[in-house]
Amino acid sequence: MKLLQNKGKQLLTITLCVIPIFLSGCWDRSEVNDLALIVGMGLDRTDEGDIELSAQIVNPKAMGGQGSSENSQSGGQPVTVKTGTGKTIFDARSKLQEKVSRRLFEGHNRIVVIGKALAERGIRQHIDFFARFPNPRLRANVFFADGKASEILKIMPNFEQDSAEVARELAELRIGMKVTTKDLLQQLASESGATALPRILVDKSDSGEELRVNGTAVFKHNQLIGQIDDALTRGLLWVTDEIETASVTLQPKDAKDYISFKLLRSSTELIPTIKNGKWKMTITITSEDDVVENETKLDMMDPKIIDKLQKQLNKRIRKRIKMVLDDVQEGMEADVFGFADAFHRKYPKQWKKAEDKWDETFPEIEVAIKSDVKIRRPGRSGGPQGVPQDKEATE
Amino acid sequence: MMERGKISGLQMAILLYPTIIATAILLVPAISGKFAEQDMWLSPIWASLAGFLTVYIALLLHNHYPELTIMQYSGKIIGFIPGKIVGLGLLFYLLHTNGVVLREYGEFVVGNFLPSTPIIVITGSMAFVCALSVRGGLEVMARSAQIFIPVFMTLFLVIILLLFPELRPANIFPVMDDGITPSIKGAIVPSQWFTEFFLIIFMLPYLRTKEKRMTWGMLSVVAVMITLVITNLFSLLLFGDITSKFTYPVMSAARYIDVADFLQHVESIVMAIWVVGVFIKVSVFYYAIVIGTAQWLHLSDYRPIVFPIGLLLIIFSTWVAASLQELSHFLSTVWPFYALVFQLVLPVLLLLVAMMRKKAAENDN
Repeated sequence: MKLLQNKGKQLLTITLCVIPIFLSGCWDRSEVNDLALIVGMGLDRTDEGDIELSAQIVNPKAMGGQGSSENSQSGGQPVTVKTGTGKTIFDARSKLQEKVSRRLFEGHNRIVVIGKALAERGIRQHIDFFARFPNPRLRANVFFADGKASEILKIMPNFEQDSAEVARELAELRIGMKVTTKDLLQQLASESGATALPRILVDKSDSGEELRVNGTAVFKHNQLIGQIDDALTRGLLWVTDEIETASVTLQPKDAKDYISFKLLRSSTELIPTIKNGKWKMTITITSEDDVVENETKLDMMDPKIIDKLQKQLNKRIRKRIKMVLDDVQEGMEADVFGFADAFHRKYPKQWKKAEDKWDETFPEIEVAIKSDVKIRRPGRSGGPQGVPQDKEATE
Repeated sequence: MMERGKISGLQMAILLYPTIIATAILLVPAISGKFAEQDMWLSPIWASLAGFLTVYIALLLHNHYPELTIMQYSGKIIGFIPGKIVGLGLLFYLLHTNGVVLREYGEFVVGNFLPSTPIIVITGSMAFVCALSVRGGLEVMARSAQIFIPVFMTLFLVIILLLFPELRPANIFPVMDDGITPSIKGAIVPSQWFTEFFLIIFMLPYLRTKEKRMTWGMLSVVAVMITLVITNLFSLLLFGDITSKFTYPVMSAARYIDVADFLQHVESIVMAIWVVGVFIKVSVFYYAIVIGTAQWLHLSDYRPIVFPIGLLLIIFSTWVAASLQELSHFLSTVWPFYALVFQLVLPVLLLLVAMMRKKAAENDN
């Protein structure tokens, strides 16, 4: 009996020693040096109607050489861009794979750029891949390129490793909208039927080519229907409560010079009301600013002056928002502001009746804008610098 | 007596919790979301009523025959031959369901992590580990669950905490847009996860103390309900309307985590939760099948049949469905009724007959 037990123990020990060999992932073993890490993907439409997939792939030669200048010289560019064409994204990907010696891996993909030609034909059908194929993450930022997406990926920036990182950081700064794949999926499935994507551009200058996030592309029912510029995008960000960094510069009445403010925080509330069958939306914005630059001779410590400046700032914000409403609500008739969801949440019963007519209702909605700006602090200086005490302007 | 180990009430609760939650955590958000939309977080609350009922019925039955399991007392209640037939049906149900669970596990691992590994390797290795723990007996299983469950819960909380910055509370509104009906519809399939508390029947005879059985059973149901409400709520607040479009919403949510640009790619945590949970779930079902079969055949020991049944289990996991689509269709159409019959209707009927017999016996006296 004891012998048997010992034998059992021996067998167990041997088994336990053998098992770890199989624990290393067996069939799905994938070594890092067999993978081609994709950091950015671009989608374009060819003249024949096929999809052209561009992938920004980390260059393994350049990766190893970081730190020592000698190696990075010989390694070349940190990323390369390769393209493949096919009927679907995956089809194009398999064509692309033929040109790449390592297995393509999208797990670290950070951006998806959609070219104009493809966007005009609709984006819904192409975004499915990013939510179905196991590798890509829903976190990737989506951009619209007013031209070819591959051009964006081909830019070799001076500042960061690759253009994908530049684009992601720019989205993170909230210069324009920040839309992840998940957000895009939600927008496409939302009741408003409208989608907005940040627009990314190539900025040519003497110092080379750089990327810029500038403006927004507006889609309605999966169709590209227009683009708005930077100023209007700021207005849109105010409405959707996405504004994070903003500088406002204004010229006080009766003054020649300017004052700049830095936005500290802001929150926007959409308050829908339905009265006597009339749909109305009130946009309430409360924000806090600090004075950061004062060219005028006004005293920034004077509550009266601050009060006037606050009124002027309020007017400025209302104007910004009015501009974007004129353009997008009345011009394009696309609800990228989230009005549909706000109405649905507050008036579920009325919404159900009006749901089908939303496209007609939306441009007719009356919008009231209430802005409440508070200038909290004068900055490091109180009165105007470089002005004798008795020469300070009072009003 | 076949089972020499004894477990405490707390251990029973700890064994039951992952038995329900392990598969529910990944599949329920999508199923509830399909029917209940933004009310999906309410569904587990309605569904848990089935859990409370099941535990209550199981305890009442147990009070009639405190030393026996359902395989033994079903014969005493409705006669030898009918009892054997019911027992066989129950064994088949348990084996089939455990095959489904094992397959779900395999499908998840293959679909998300190891696409080119044959599924039989994954289900086979899990079945082997479970067989070892079942051979160890109830006490061994309970103790391993006691070690794993704190890990399970910690990992779950980590995921929840990391998701916090991404949530949009507005997604919850309007609450009960179409009244209470959608959330109840969303509760129908999950309620069958709760009736799996029926497995308590196989543990009750081996409890060390007879006190507080009800409390621990009910506490376990409450814990499962809270976990599912949190899971559904987080899926909803993160994904909103598109929750039901994902095969595994929790998995997609974990992949979305990105804290300060460096804490990312944490989906292996979900994998860890899944493996630990499924290990206990399959073991508990497996144990019920093995001990049930041994009692059905009047064997003196259950250990010799552990491995043969493991082989059957793997075969069932392969045959139960051709694809994940079929499996999912089965789970949301046939299985709720199938499970309801064996896990709730059958115990209720047995209880009614047992009560009538008792009354008749009293009247005779």
